Amino acid sequence: MSAPSVADQRPVVAPTLGFRRRLLDNTVVRNVGPFMPIVLLWWLIAELEVFPSAFFVGPDVVAVRLVELSRNGILTGYLADSLYRLGTGVLVGLLVGGVFGLIIGLSRVARRFAWPLLVFFQAIGDIAWLPLLIVWFGFSLLSVTAVIVYTVVFPLALSITAGIASVPEDMRRASASLGAGRWQTLTEVVLPGALPGVVSGMRTGLGYGWRALIAAEIIVGTSGIGFMMFDARRVGEVTDVFLGMIVLGVLWYALDALILAPLERETVERWGMVRRPAAAAK
Amino acid sequence: MSSDATYQRAGRLEVRALEKRYDDERTGDSVLALERADFEVEGGEFVALLGPSGCGKTTILNIVAGFISQTAGEVLVDGQAISGPGADRGVVFQSFALFPWKTVRANVAFGPKMRGMDKQERRQLADEYLELVGLSGFEDKYPHELSGGMQQRVGVARVLANQPAVMLMDEPFASVDAQTRMTLQEELTRIWQERRPTIVFVTHDVEEAVFLADRIVVLAPHPGRVREIVEVPLTRPRVWDDILGNDRFKETVHHVLGLLKAPQVTEQPTVEAET
Repeated sequence: MSAPSVADQRPVVAPTLGFRRRLLDNTVVRNVGPFMPIVLLWWLIAELEVFPSAFFVGPDVVAVRLVELSRNGILTGYLADSLYRLGTGVLVGLLVGGVFGLIIGLSRVARRFAWPLLVFFQAIGDIAWLPLLIVWFGFSLLSVTAVIVYTVVFPLALSITAGIASVPEDMRRASASLGAGRWQTLTEVVLPGALPGVVSGMRTGLGYGWRALIAAEIIVGTSGIGFMMFDARRVGEVTDVFLGMIVLGVLWYALDALILAPLERETVERWGMVRRPAAAAK
Repeated sequence: MSSDATYQRAGRLEVRALEKRYDDERTGDSVLALERADFEVEGGEFVALLGPSGCGKTTILNIVAGFISQTAGEVLVDGQAISGPGADRGVVFQSFALFPWKTVRANVAFGPKMRGMDKQERRQLADEYLELVGLSGFEDKYPHELSGGMQQRVGVARVLANQPAVMLMDEPFASVDAQTRMTLQEELTRIWQERRPTIVFVTHDVEEAVFLADRIVVLAPHPGRVREIVEVPLTRPRVWDDILGNDRFKETVHHVLGLLKAPQVTEQPTVEAET
């Protein structure tokens, strides 16, 4: 048994990290740090009254309002409404888009047939459907959900199709010549191989869905973060608009950090299927 | 090892009057990629298919693997005509074609899993073959964590663990560096001697073919055809240190190079002698 010299091919990990490195790796510092200068600048502009305070409020005012609206349950209620709509829309959208993407990705006939339709309907855009949806379903939750589903379906279906197409031919061949049947090759090789596409489709889809939700709430709204912001504008309450914007940003950030990023880390990054600059240097 | 017996006499490959013609859809022309190739590989034999690009060596391999279909002729494995890819013909790819989402062990256990071997058993089998290729300790790594040479060891173990009648290798060491390539070549001859799988090894590297094979099917291009089948008069085990100074090695390399360079209807400048 001859052993290859493999020890020297292992990646070398530095035994100790410097203080600066540790500080930069700290979760709180990493996530909150970049925002500190912006908040400071914001506070400065408000304090110096560059703009009249009826148009521009400082972080302190917004923070107070945040506590107030959280206590009386308005913000939390609206937030729950928005998240529920997003959740429903995205879930249905993922299901429909996933099925569509699989069918189009796996069948050449379906692809030829569906491609012009995909391009055409994607071009119409989500909000453009709202007038018609409102006529059909009224100012209801159904209209909002329909818009989100519509938004999520296309990027997801397109990404899954691209993901399936990107599975190298040699991998399918390897699978077949190792004795896998068509169905086994599909479940064992093609579907996992398409995962980078699925993950990137989910990211784009969710992002689009999130924006569509706010837009739909502004137009259709009876509740939700989008509604809160637009309603505040109507009564001239700038603080709530500021607050709404921050809530949107924080929520997306949390969604990304808590769901999307770990999903990517545990799958495509762990398997080396996406090349990040550091990995590409290898 | 219980598996040794399967390699003894089984694994005979016959290629009979094999022909491949490609049709160009735009011009309507058809190109003859391979013209009546005839050769046999005995069970447990190591045969190299050697030639410059355009000689049809990869076409032959792809037909034998069942990835593409021939225009005429037939391929028999142990007397049975092949149709489509199958577990009796395992393929080692130049691109490795490992499954990145599976660990090294799961990659090697893939074939046995497909035919329904239970988990404990195939795990054991995979570890046995990983030891054979010198990768013990790397079972739980993912392919991208290994060097190219190590990945191809996994590729070899994955095929051998599936115990095919014939192992087909398509320029398997072409994408690793020269040092690693020589190590892998020596390792392959060692493994072949231990297990005696039938190997069909596609390469354009004359010295590689002479070093590895019992016989070399030398192919000529445009159209691809068998030029000559050369016996390699070298004893085993073969180690580069001994082989490089060996006169019979040099003579065989010389002879094969001569075959590749011999005047043809159209002289091909693509043939290069690697040293």
